[in-house]
Amino acid sequence: MLVGLAATTVKEARERVRSAIRNSGLEFPTTRLTVNLAPAEMRKEGTALDLPMAVAIALARAGKAAPPRSAFLGELALDGSIRHVDGVLVAARGLWTLGYERVFVPAVDAPEAALVDGLEVIPCASLIAVVNHLLGVQPISPAARGDLDSAPPAAIDHDLAEVHGQEEAKRALEVAAAGGHHLLMSGPPGAGKTMLARCLPGILPPLELAEALEVAQVRSLLGELPREGPLDWARPFRAPHHGVSMAGLIGGGSGLAQPGEISRAHHGVLFLDELAEFQTPVLQALRQPLEAGRVGITRSGGSVTYPARFTLVAATNPCPCGWAGDGVRGCRCTPAAIDTYQRRLSGPLLDRIDLQVSVRRVHLEMLASEGRGEPSVSVRDRVVAARSRQHERQGCLNAQLKPARLRQLAGLAPEPRRALERWGAQRGITARGFHRAWRVARTSADLDGSEQIEEHHILEALGFRLQDVAA
Amino acid sequence: MAIVGSRRPSPYGEAVAEQLGLELARAGVVVVSGLALGIDAAAHRGALNAGGVTVAVMGTGVDVIYPAAHGALAEAILAAGGALVSQFPDGTTPRRHNFPARNYTMAALADIVVVVEAAEGSGALITAEAALDLHKEVMAVPGSVFSPLSVGTHSLLRDGAGLVQNARDILAALRLGGEVLDDPLATPKHLGFKLPGERDGILSHLSDVLALNAAEIARKLQLPIAEVLGRLTALELDGAVRRHQGGYVRALRRGKERA
Repeated sequence: MLVGLAATTVKEARERVRSAIRNSGLEFPTTRLTVNLAPAEMRKEGTALDLPMAVAIALARAGKAAPPRSAFLGELALDGSIRHVDGVLVAARGLWTLGYERVFVPAVDAPEAALVDGLEVIPCASLIAVVNHLLGVQPISPAARGDLDSAPPAAIDHDLAEVHGQEEAKRALEVAAAGGHHLLMSGPPGAGKTMLARCLPGILPPLELAEALEVAQVRSLLGELPREGPLDWARPFRAPHHGVSMAGLIGGGSGLAQPGEISRAHHGVLFLDELAEFQTPVLQALRQPLEAGRVGITRSGGSVTYPARFTLVAATNPCPCGWAGDGVRGCRCTPAAIDTYQRRLSGPLLDRIDLQVSVRRVHLEMLASEGRGEPSVSVRDRVVAARSRQHERQGCLNAQLKPARLRQLAGLAPEPRRALERWGAQRGITARGFHRAWRVARTSADLDGSEQIEEHHILEALGFRLQDVAA
Repeated sequence: MAIVGSRRPSPYGEAVAEQLGLELARAGVVVVSGLALGIDAAAHRGALNAGGVTVAVMGTGVDVIYPAAHGALAEAILAAGGALVSQFPDGTTPRRHNFPARNYTMAALADIVVVVEAAEGSGALITAEAALDLHKEVMAVPGSVFSPLSVGTHSLLRDGAGLVQNARDILAALRLGGEVLDDPLATPKHLGFKLPGERDGILSHLSDVLALNAAEIARKLQLPIAEVLGRLTALELDGAVRRHQGGYVRALRRGKERA
């Protein structure tokens, strides 16, 4: 008998547990047997509860108690072997913070759980091995602690040196990387927007341990962690297609919500190509995570909060056909169509993107003649220096500064302030836009190694505000 | 006198249309145009700035302002003693096939049709053709040979359209030349624009028709991109450059008499 609000996957456990116990050469009690899943008001889901139930039954039979502060996770096969379950890393970290000292996990998932510093991880191949370990017949040696310190220098897949021309966009990428700002690129097809976006992870510093663990946790939940070397130091890069659903981008699904693309891009880059082609409600839903760095989702199975602190890189064509402003090919869109197209992008989402830059096609003869650009490695050095200045000063990146702290930490001398106010008066920007330009100027100064925001920093920041032009 | 052209002109074309509208209205000419975006609106605006009479020939019913954003412009035209004219019944909404007929009417109302900027296949070229059918004179404003917006006007010029360098060229064609000879404006020097002062090396690298982006300017000047971006914004704040089609163009400043 199984009580305690179990979902279908857990109810099926009855058959798996019974077979596994019998096929392990252990005795399954023939009397009435009650397994209680507590707390009873919480819905239990997933197959990870197989192992704890089987262990509890086997130990009760042997008249022994389970060791204190130990937890069990694993799915049973009918023959008693233990299979992989998703989310072991998340569970292990959660258990560790709850005061558990030891976890029994499927052997294949042991490297994942071993990433949690201080937690003893017992890799379990089969039910009988676990029972023998607990009865002291044949102990299993704990898994070696995860290799946490040897962060290999992350390989750069796409190097800025391979991008010809486009200095304006490259500079925007550098500022975005240095201050954690979101970026919008506007330009015709074939201008290299995708290539530029793919270069961004390469100029960001490699993940720190805590960040890498958070990235691994999301992947663990999705069952996407590689068995060998579960910890990846490279920044995630996610590029969902514009047909992506709300659930796919933000997270969702039936029962308990699964993380979406924005959480997979946590601590990395979310690239949205053809921004105007995304469904409007999907784009609207991006606003909250963009501000908060996490997303809360409620489904029938309960509410969850997933991390979603990513750098948004969006790309768009200037008009429906894509060729407005291109020197060579003419645009065939009516002004009204262009207006409608651009209006889809305007408003609250655009207001949350600090940097906007036009990307133009590079002429073919230039592709051949131009020397190689600056390599990503040297850009990254400047980015790392600028980021550490910010962390020393304020403990976060400039993009996350609230207006009050911005005023306190990044005061403006009269001259730069006048430039900012003149622009505001001419273009009628919102208070939010005013602060965004200010933050970008702070980043520009940090890249310069300057403690004071000079006028030219403000001017550069304003140069990255395309949406003011129409006003 | 009709002034027609692209709905998406370069800053150059827009400035020329506005200036022609102003000077012709000042000389007492009624400026006819189509109330559309771009050149049309600039021509109406210019005429209104001179306190002149201007007529909007509409492709919709007179009670349907299209584009809707031009409601205030239409009001101003009426307030200045001008007229909104339409051959279509009240309530006619914008229909693609109505506009060529409107263009024909515009040509019929005017003695001369001036095309300011028109790409290949532009509606302004239909107006020019209609003018030829009606034995009216067609004139065109030249532009840059690099600009797609001047392809149509240049082909008109090649086919014999009158060259427009300033309002006086048009007035002469209208046989009104003698009356404005005393006008100090009527010399080519005073087309009405002043180039912004060359305080900054960047300006000499910018065109007033073709947009250059910051990267291209930085390469020409051998300056770091961050500095060029900042200086361009400073020039933009001063009104010396404008953004256009994803890049920057030199802004044409109106002469003092326009202040």
